[in-house]
Amino acid sequence: MRHVIIGNSAAGVSAAETIRRISPESSITIISEEDYPAYSRCLLPDFLAGDIGGESLTIRSSNFYSKNSIETRLGKKATALDTDKRQVVLENGESVPYDRLLIATGSVTTFPPLEGIGLPGVFGLRTLGDARKILKAAGAARRVVVVGAGLVGLEAAYALYRRGLEVTVVEKASRIVPQQFDPTASKVLMKDMESEGIRIILNTGIKGIVGRPLWERLFGRKGKGVVLEDGSKLKGELVLVATGARPNTDLVKGTGVRVNRGIVVDDYMQTSVPEIYAAGDVAETVDPVTGQPSLTPIWPNAMVQGRNAGYNMAGCPRKYSALIGMQNAVEFREVPAIAAGVTLADPGEYEILTEYRPDQNIYKKLVIKDNVLKGIILVGDISGAGILCALIRKKSDISSFKHFLLLERFGYGHFLKKAVGGYNA
Amino acid sequence: MKRLVIYPERCNGCLTCTLACSAAHSLAKDILGAMLEKVPSRIKIVPVEGTPVPVKCGHCEEPACVDACMAGAMQRDPVTGIVTNEGNEQRCVGCWMCIMACPYGVISPNYKEPKMAVKCDGCRSRQEGPACVEACHNRALLLEEIEEIGFSRQVNAGKRNKEKAQAV
Repeated sequence: MRHVIIGNSAAGVSAAETIRRISPESSITIISEEDYPAYSRCLLPDFLAGDIGGESLTIRSSNFYSKNSIETRLGKKATALDTDKRQVVLENGESVPYDRLLIATGSVTTFPPLEGIGLPGVFGLRTLGDARKILKAAGAARRVVVVGAGLVGLEAAYALYRRGLEVTVVEKASRIVPQQFDPTASKVLMKDMESEGIRIILNTGIKGIVGRPLWERLFGRKGKGVVLEDGSKLKGELVLVATGARPNTDLVKGTGVRVNRGIVVDDYMQTSVPEIYAAGDVAETVDPVTGQPSLTPIWPNAMVQGRNAGYNMAGCPRKYSALIGMQNAVEFREVPAIAAGVTLADPGEYEILTEYRPDQNIYKKLVIKDNVLKGIILVGDISGAGILCALIRKKSDISSFKHFLLLERFGYGHFLKKAVGGYNA
Repeated sequence: MKRLVIYPERCNGCLTCTLACSAAHSLAKDILGAMLEKVPSRIKIVPVEGTPVPVKCGHCEEPACVDACMAGAMQRDPVTGIVTNEGNEQRCVGCWMCIMACPYGVISPNYKEPKMAVKCDGCRSRQEGPACVEACHNRALLLEEIEEIGFSRQVNAGKRNKEKAQAV
């Protein structure tokens, strides 16, 4: 059995090691356009900040591929998929035949169609290659403008700030991390970043990125940077675009593999074409919280989807027990925060319990519907977050203990005592 | 294989296990040193309706924390079954994804240098075995053959819950 996996990150690696565990004999080939051993994109901000070196980004040991007898085609982009001949064509013309194929191509940065988006000094942050280019440009830069105050933008902003650059983040929405956190949580996190010295401009979009010649023509003075929607200008030698990412589905265009927003898969991670699977950022699965088909570009989701794809590819049918679609843990400066499930909720439709202690930077929010926990925001105190996430995922009836959940003393002991059948001390 | 079994009904909340855990993971290897170094305990005693319930990592067979770790630092040893983010090739960066993932809430953030997630490591480098087991004088924490004891505990718990339901 020839297993071919396109993608060398969380989902691809998880699938490969799963297949090898179950099937010592079959052949496994991993294809990736990046020429590095599997590494963590989530660690790129730490690399940008100078906390870790490039060699510390890898997620498996250096002998991972040889130990697991995994063949690799690293640094070779898959450019075409022939589902009739059952082979993947690489950019160097090589054809890689497969019996079972996993598409784990992840996401790609989306660049908004702005003037000057292609200028030198404008970067996205997705790959180690991007990070290296940013560091090279940062050497000669004093100011950086980060477009987008989402998770990537803010992590990158803080990292470059720690490198010694002056950072300004520009965000179109009225708060930072608008998709995950509500106004109160965003305010706590924003104050934490601003007290560090990072400037954040809200409610403002970018009109265009302007290089030196045009800048001088427009403003009569030397400079380069961005022009905001309201016409004002922001100087910057480096522009980091962090306005979003989309699933990397280009490879399956024109094939029978069905794509909605991502590659659609069933409970067994199989696409619309038999024996072709998809997992990770590129795949579209049903979010257990909303019941809707969703993209879930989250690291643990990719690992678990990859494992499930591996089981199914290796002939052990296993249904994907979906993880919460939106779940993020962050700590930009000193305040940790977790957001999971439905965090932005209309109080008319949901029951919302909150606790806010501004002097301690603690904010907790539970979003509940029909006595089932649907979403949580925890800022400042994240202990026990996983228990709450498990209650969301299991759709447990929390009516008998919902007010208890916000208390500091809440812990798994409550459930362990119940499981043991209760007792008299 | 011997695994740590918790008998919460025998716990009296003396917290000796937490002191022993801190001490075992301190440089000084004693309780005073652990308190001065401010070493966190990896076992917690949760107050539930006035009674103490010990809660600790159970070293899952398919750990959610391992899936969540985006640094590759959290790993399960296939031989001992111990799950830990310490002493591996990859280093924990304190991203807290594992805290978000663990359905038992047994991982805690440690902000002191080095910033990293803290959980039970099975006392794998301790010759005498788990410090909490050694410290508990109430036999609330025992190392037992999981194949023998696991099944009977499930059966007994089921029986007790059934009796309670019938008594109502």
